Amino acid sequence: MSLALFAYTARKNSLLLVIFYAVLAFYLAVMISMYNPEDMARITDMLDLFPEDLMQAMGFSQQVSDLTSYLASWLYGLLMLAFPMVYCIILSQRLVARKVDSGSMAYLLATPNSRTRIIVTLGSYALLSVGLLFALLFGTGVALAEWLQPGQLAADRFLQLNITTMLINMLVIMIGFFFSCLCNDASLASGLAAGLPITFLLLNMLGGVSEDYQWLKRWSVYGWFDPLERVRGEMPWTINLIYAAGAAVLFAAAVLIFKRRQLPV
Amino acid sequence: MIEAQGLTVTYPGGKGVFGLDFQIGDGKTMGYLGPNGAGKTTTIRALLGFMRPDSGRAAIDGLDCFADAPRIQRRLGYIPGEISFPEKMCGCEFLRFMHAMRGGRGKRSAREEELLALFELDPSGRIDKFSKGMKQKLGIVAALMHDPQVLILDEPTSGLDPLMQNRFIALIHRERARGKTILMSSHGFEEVEKTCDQVLIIREGRIIHEDRAETLRRSRTRTYLLQAAQPARAAAVLAEAGFTVPAAENGSFEIPVAGDAVDRFIKAVATLQVVDLNVKSQSLEELFMRFYRQDGEEDAL
Repeated sequence: MSLALFAYTARKNSLLLVIFYAVLAFYLAVMISMYNPEDMARITDMLDLFPEDLMQAMGFSQQVSDLTSYLASWLYGLLMLAFPMVYCIILSQRLVARKVDSGSMAYLLATPNSRTRIIVTLGSYALLSVGLLFALLFGTGVALAEWLQPGQLAADRFLQLNITTMLINMLVIMIGFFFSCLCNDASLASGLAAGLPITFLLLNMLGGVSEDYQWLKRWSVYGWFDPLERVRGEMPWTINLIYAAGAAVLFAAAVLIFKRRQLPV
Repeated sequence: MIEAQGLTVTYPGGKGVFGLDFQIGDGKTMGYLGPNGAGKTTTIRALLGFMRPDSGRAAIDGLDCFADAPRIQRRLGYIPGEISFPEKMCGCEFLRFMHAMRGGRGKRSAREEELLALFELDPSGRIDKFSKGMKQKLGIVAALMHDPQVLILDEPTSGLDPLMQNRFIALIHRERARGKTILMSSHGFEEVEKTCDQVLIIREGRIIHEDRAETLRRSRTRTYLLQAAQPARAAAVLAEAGFTVPAAENGSFEIPVAGDAVDRFIKAVATLQVVDLNVKSQSLEELFMRFYRQDGEEDAL
């Protein structure tokens, strides 16, 4: 780790983080304020008007009654995956591929810092910023719930939900980071870094449409986990290990590849 | 000491450098000449540790340029050929950042202040708003501010105005006097002539000539454009003095003059009534052709 590079990276990318946090916090606030236990039955009735397949594809489950499950279903089923995914794609490309493509990576490499050190620093920033994003969202969610729906949110289960969602996004950012370290060409890197997670998201949505297509979810990193089962404690915590291990393997591969690569900068 | 032994670096397209062998001893200055695309920057990428050789070896002070890059960078100053700074950064911030990345702390060093004053550069303000010359100056300051022992400079004067080019050359002279080892690429003979002990010429990825700068200067040919009041007499006088005189065009001659014949040429011209005398600017490619024709036809390009 290079502290100088970490501090510089954090400074240059803080605005991006703030924007995504603000958008997601806004959604949290709206969703929490809209929650009304008495209305849940009516919402369920209303949802029956929509095609069931569509609702399932969007990850919205109808059997929710408490605030935690409601957030898991309505927010963490799609929005908390799709928005942070965009953040992961943008940040992962900024960190390495764009620097190699523009040539400014030469300046980092022309200092007495090894390639390993540079990539470990940049990758750590990627992971820590995702961690920070979800820590802030968890804190914001708890505070908003305390204010708007006192006593409704099960903070421990909401924490579990955020931890797993954070780990998924860490895996997604490491997919982007891996391609960012692999390709010389920034447009190829961003194509792969964006294409794969978007495909995963689409597979996850299609897999939710009906029982027949559920197998699609197995091919998507997003589909390995069901937010509603997670908050109900029906999903073993070991799922966290799988995501964390995936992210760690990709991080290590990114470092190894970058260390040996030809860099025409 | 900068050295290459059988250094081969290739790109997927088949371009690259092939079997380079050279040595730059401690305290020596080597000019690295070649037309665009000849492989100068590729060689430098190998020396900086950005590219791993396919075969052969690049080393600085005995350390392998790829494997020991971080240790080498401690004592190395590098000016990239195409400077690309980090986006949206202020010049001051960039210099501070480079200082910190080299493990430095606190304020600007005296050396940095000195360099900023020398090039009259005010580094405040966004780099992307800088002119080409300012960016080049910033690159120079960033490369030299930690007072490195080895300098690798890829076309360092490009974008500088003549005044600043001269200041830079004077700076290189001072660094040379302080015992620095320098590799400086360029596509201009003059610049290299003024600064370097040795000259290395590369073409299509291979070294085609290595010589002392002084020898090169004497053996090379310059073309003078002479316009005489009496063309017929001028042709006769010059032919008698032993120069090849092509047919006059509009009363002006293009006369190739070898480096060691300049004195003879000037003295011959002094007897004429001269309307105008000029040196024709030459591309490096032309220079090579002349240089090699003189060196012997068997030295095929």
